[in-house]
Parts: sequence; C-alpha cells; structure tokens
Amino acid sequence: MKDPAGEIVLDARGLEPPEPMERVLQALALLRPGQTIRLLLHREPFPLYPLLAQRGYGHATRRDADGSYVILIHPLATEAG
Amino acid sequence: MSQGAGLSFEQAPPFSVPLRFLLTAPLFLAAAGGLVAFHPEALASRWTAPALALTHALTLGFLAMVMLGALMQMLPVVAGATLPAPRALAAITHVGLTLGTLALLAGFLFADALAWLAALGLLATALGVFLVASAAALMRAVASDTVRGIRLAWVGLAATAGLGVALAASRAGWTTLPDVAAAIDAHALVGLLGWVLLLVIAVAYQVVPMFQLTPPYPPRLARWLAAVLAAALLLRAGAILLPPGGVALIDGVLAAGVLVFALATLRLQAQRRRRLADVTLDYWRIAMASLVAAVMAWGAARAWPAWAGHDAYPLLLGVLFLGGFAVSVVNGMLYKIVPFLAWFHLQAQLQARAGSIPTMKEMISQRAMRGQFRLHVAACLLLAGALAWPPLAVPGGVAMAASALWLAANLASAVRRFRAFGGRWA
Repeated sequence: MKDPAGEIVLDARGLEPPEPMERVLQALALLRPGQTIRLLLHREPFPLYPLLAQRGYGHATRRDADGSYVILIHPLATEAG
Repeated sequence: MSQGAGLSFEQAPPFSVPLRFLLTAPLFLAAAGGLVAFHPEALASRWTAPALALTHALTLGFLAMVMLGALMQMLPVVAGATLPAPRALAAITHVGLTLGTLALLAGFLFADALAWLAALGLLATALGVFLVASAAALMRAVASDTVRGIRLAWVGLAATAGLGVALAASRAGWTTLPDVAAAIDAHALVGLLGWVLLLVIAVAYQVVPMFQLTPPYPPRLARWLAAVLAAALLLRAGAILLPPGGVALIDGVLAAGVLVFALATLRLQAQRRRRLADVTLDYWRIAMASLVAAVMAWGAARAWPAWAGHDAYPLLLGVLFLGGFAVSVVNGMLYKIVPFLAWFHLQAQLQARAGSIPTMKEMISQRAMRGQFRLHVAACLLLAGALAWPPLAVPGGVAMAASALWLAANLASAVRRFRAFGGRWA
C-alpha cells in the first residue's frame, strides 16, 4: 500500500550503539502522515521496541539472508485506520 | 543468538543506583595515586603497609566499586535478572563499600584495631548483601555465555571476600590462620583472576562485539574459557593438595587462558567494521597488551629463578595487571556506561524529540577523554619504570592521581549535561 516515496530509509548498519536508536528517534521527528521508516541494522534492536511502543509506533522485523535486519516502523494510528 | 536477545531497558534501575558507584570510584583511584606520591616505598615491596593499602584502594575502592555498580545496571538489562529492592541494595552496598574501604586503608596504614573492626563489619555487610542479592538474580537469569561467566566471577568474589574477612580477622589478632601465606596467595589469585578477570571476560563477550563492532568471540572460546580458568583456579587455590609438578601445570593453564583471551580480543578488534578512533577501544587495547606483558613477566620468572625471587617481580605483575589491565578496562568502560546512561535516561524521561537532547557522543568532550587516556598511559609507564628506578614513583603517583581526577571531572560533565537538559534522579 506504501509507495517508496512514503518511506524514509535509514541504513544504520555498522553504527555504534546507541547511534542507530538516535537516528530512528531523529527520523520519527521528521515523519509525515502516511510515511514509514525502513531501518537496516546489523543486529536486532531489542531495546528500540519498547521506545517505539511508548511513542505510539509499531514495527515489523525481518532477517535478511546476509544476517542483517530490516525493521519497518509505522505509526500505530495509521495501521488501525 | 542468545547474546543481547534479552537486552531490555524496561528493567533498568533508576540512574542514581549505578551512578553513585561510578562517580565514587575515581576518587579512590586518585587516593591510590596520592598514596604512591606520599609513600613511594609502596613500590619497594608488596608487603609494606602502603603497598597493601594501595592494592586495596585500587581493587575495592576503584575496581569493585565500578563493577558492583555496573552489575546493578547490567544484571537486569542484559540478563533479565532483576535485583531485589535495588534502591536499598545500592544504598547499603555503596555506603558499606565506601566507608569499609576507607577503614581498611586506615587499618593497613595505622594498624588501628578500631579501623580493622569497622572495615570488617562494613565490608562484610556490603559484599555479603550484594552477594546474596545478586545470587538471587543470577539464579533466575537467562543463561548465556556472559551470564555463565558472571556466575563464575560471583564465586570468585565470594571466595575473595571470605578469605579477606579471615585474613583481616587474623591481622587484627582475633584469630589465627593455619597458613597465612597460603591464604594471602589464594586471596590475591582468586580476587585478580577469579573475580576481576572472569568478570571482564564475561562482559567482553557482550560489549566488545556490540560497542567496538567486531565479529563475535569464537563460540567455543566463549563457551569454555571462563570455565577452564575457574577450574584451574579452584585446583590452584588448593595447591597444598597437588603433587609437586601439579602447581606448575595449573599455572601454565592459567597463563595460557589469560593469553588466549588477550590475543583473541586484540584479533577481533583488528577486524572491526568501522575504523573510527575511539578512546574506549584504545583503553581495551592497552589493557590487553598489559595482560600479554604480564604473562611474559610471569614466563620470565619461570625461566629465571632470580627474577622470580626479586621484590620487583610481584610488583611488576601488580602494575601490569591492576594498572595496565584492570584499571584501563574499567576506565574505558566508564566512558561508555556513564554517557550512555545519561543519554538513555534523558530520552526516556523527556520522551525527547531528536535534536532536543545531546547525543551520547556529546555527553563528554572527546578531547578531554583522549587527554585523560594519555595521562593514564603515562602514569602506568612511570609506575612500571619506578620498579627499576625508584625516583619515578612520585611523578607516577602524581600522574595517576591527576588522571583519576580528570576522569572524575569528565564523568561529572556528562552528569551536568544530564541535569542541564532536565534529567531527574528518580
């Protein structure tokens, strides 16, 4: 349903913690209605999930063949509506 | 992928719980430097009163202070093992360890019976309470190589504390031990290798790959190294029961284990993904190089009995292991732990929009950390040099104290930023 223009791609692979988390929070501040974030990371960001939930965002995580992770982040209201 | 799978900051204790330990520790490091500056004879023989006070200012006042504080943060977050009553636990452990260490230093320096009594009561309470509380948490913890290593280090801490209490009671004249020299050897060996080294190894499995972006430790090494070292220590501590050749064999196993850990860590760090300068990484490298140097000094003592019997030999091992290895690792980790917690609690409390609070890297000036690192390395070199040329002891002690105070100021700057941006303690 989402066109690529509605997506902010964040490649945080190889960044030292908590830089990936800092960049996600930065991107959330820039997010416009209908937009989602696609986060690429070298490990699964367990500490990020409760932060997203607190701020009203959901996520879907998938592990790529190369061992890196793709995390799709979206506002929970968008999913409900 | 058990490593890190349980990482959860919902379990994190309030900032004030670990922070009080992390900010107190550098003051004991500064006191240790001051001891060397005012009592340079501390570096003449390990048996002088100032040398014993110096050792315990470093091991209890600095190393144990940071390690216990960091474990109170780490056990809930990394192992999913919540500690019972974290605020009360932190208060009792911190006050007991701080005052108990001061009393112990007074006991060594002034041979005062009241100081020994206070040291014994305070340290036994602080460490006893921490050991009981952390045992409860460690039993419930999600098993991983890190948790298994911390469990073994827990046994090392318990054994070191038990032997320490017995030795203190015997020094104060309340009891007589059958073999004081064997008890002192076991206390030192189990404290340095069984507690300090095993804890650093267990924590390294987690933090070296995570923060230095290296490949993980080889699984077989991570699975067995701590257990092999712990088994060798157990045998070594009961050395009286071993056949004559047994002690040499066990010592060889211990030295090989130390070497394997140091070289494996240096190798991983050489393979890291991003080659940016990082003070903590440099602290770890100095630490690993010091471990290698300590093993070489030990090997030289096996080859040349004259060196093994020299007063400078145990002191060189002490400078390399305590100053070069343990203080370096802990100092380097403080530069990750304090800025990370300041940043983490700030964003959690304020639900902050990015840009409105400093990033973790902005919490402490990079230049200030680099300068403090150089001063620490200079202090280690001067103290090692003082073993060959005693006039270097005073500048070495001064450099160590100055480096510790600079560390304290750097950590305080992160806390000031935390407060300035509206961070709260509760």
